[in-house]
Amino acid sequence: MANSIKLEVITPSKVFYKGDVELVIVPTYEGDEGFMARHAYATKLLDIGELWVQEAGQKDFKVAAIAGGYVDVKESIILFTDAAEWQEDIDKERAAQEKARAEGWLAEEKEHEPDDIARAQIAIAKSIIRMKVAEGGGRRRR
Amino acid sequence: MASADIQAVKRRIKSVSTMEHVTNAMKLVSAAKLRRAKATFERTHEHFMYLTHSIAEVFNNAEEVPELYLEGSREIKNTCYIVITGTKGLCGSFNTNVIKEAEREIMKNDSHPMIVAIGTKGRDYFAKRDFEIVESYISPAETISFLDSQKMSKPILTMFNEGEIDEVILVYTSFISTLTQEVKTVRLLPFDIQSDPDIIKHDKPVEYEPTVEDVFNYMVPKFVEITLYGAIVESATCEHAARRTAMENAAENANEMLGELSLYYNRARQEAITNELIEIVAGSEAQQST
Repeated sequence: MANSIKLEVITPSKVFYKGDVELVIVPTYEGDEGFMARHAYATKLLDIGELWVQEAGQKDFKVAAIAGGYVDVKESIILFTDAAEWQEDIDKERAAQEKARAEGWLAEEKEHEPDDIARAQIAIAKSIIRMKVAEGGGRRRR
Repeated sequence: MASADIQAVKRRIKSVSTMEHVTNAMKLVSAAKLRRAKATFERTHEHFMYLTHSIAEVFNNAEEVPELYLEGSREIKNTCYIVITGTKGLCGSFNTNVIKEAEREIMKNDSHPMIVAIGTKGRDYFAKRDFEIVESYISPAETISFLDSQKMSKPILTMFNEGEIDEVILVYTSFISTLTQEVKTVRLLPFDIQSDPDIIKHDKPVEYEPTVEDVFNYMVPKFVEITLYGAIVESATCEHAARRTAMENAAENANEMLGELSLYYNRARQEAITNELIEIVAGSEAQQST
């Protein structure tokens, strides 16, 4: 069995996950990246995307949608994200509604603030990821 | 003892006991709110400490920290003070403590002060004394969410980046226990990372992605947001704790006063009765002797 490493996933409102993991796959800006125990020290920014966690001694991955953030890999891994949701907690319909609403808002024929446009685009990206994760995630399970 | 005096004491007892009811009710309300605020505070406090520690560690170990955020990179001309107070009174010295500390801090530096007031009490105080208030938020501290604190820190960061302010100082109340709270002054920007002894410097190379600069540009605002949010949550907890203590004291005082007053009232009544008895006895004795 591979070595395990302590992972903590923190959001502004709570500690989302805390436990020993064998492998954690995160969406960095340069593509998905996996971290295992004894990885070189690293600090990386994360994109909106899927978080895959393989707990120590488990074969299956747990999948969550995360909304950007950063990961700090040292003796343990600390992952900070603005929002995180496990696959089973995602309300697919609501995600679809949110996406439709943001898209509808963007399609309106009026002047939008650049900040608001960026926010709407982020909202769309988030809901796409949430829907994807709800369906089991974009990655094929081993 | 005249009967008018007895009437006055009776009225006084009534008013004090009404007051006691009110303070007691407020105490119960604050106690309930304190419980809730404390739960939020405890949930966020621990991992925020963790997070700020982790961010500080990153700052300390990177060789190429953008100079903008470091101490000594520019002369401090304008200082921005974020003062977190409550929106309501009746909480003992909670608000005045924060305001006093903030004012002392302002007097210490001769830089031009600019104030961001969170909570109406601080805003009113500084507005009355003609300080420049750049921004104020009047919603009660316990209703402020992380998203709100994100919005609050945005203009501050913009001003800092554009050079309108050179220093950001946060004055808030820190929660030690339900009975003790302490006003704390924390400098948010620029960083003075060398002075923190808790942070271990490790000499292993760290990978940054996409670049060190990007990581910093992400982390600095995050650090400010998180610290600000943490401070707001902590202040809200302190406010309720302070109010609970204040109301408890008020209720206690009212009870004490009630005790004294009723003793006085009973004595006065007894005296009146005795007087009447003496009159009757004296009257009857006068009749018998004739």
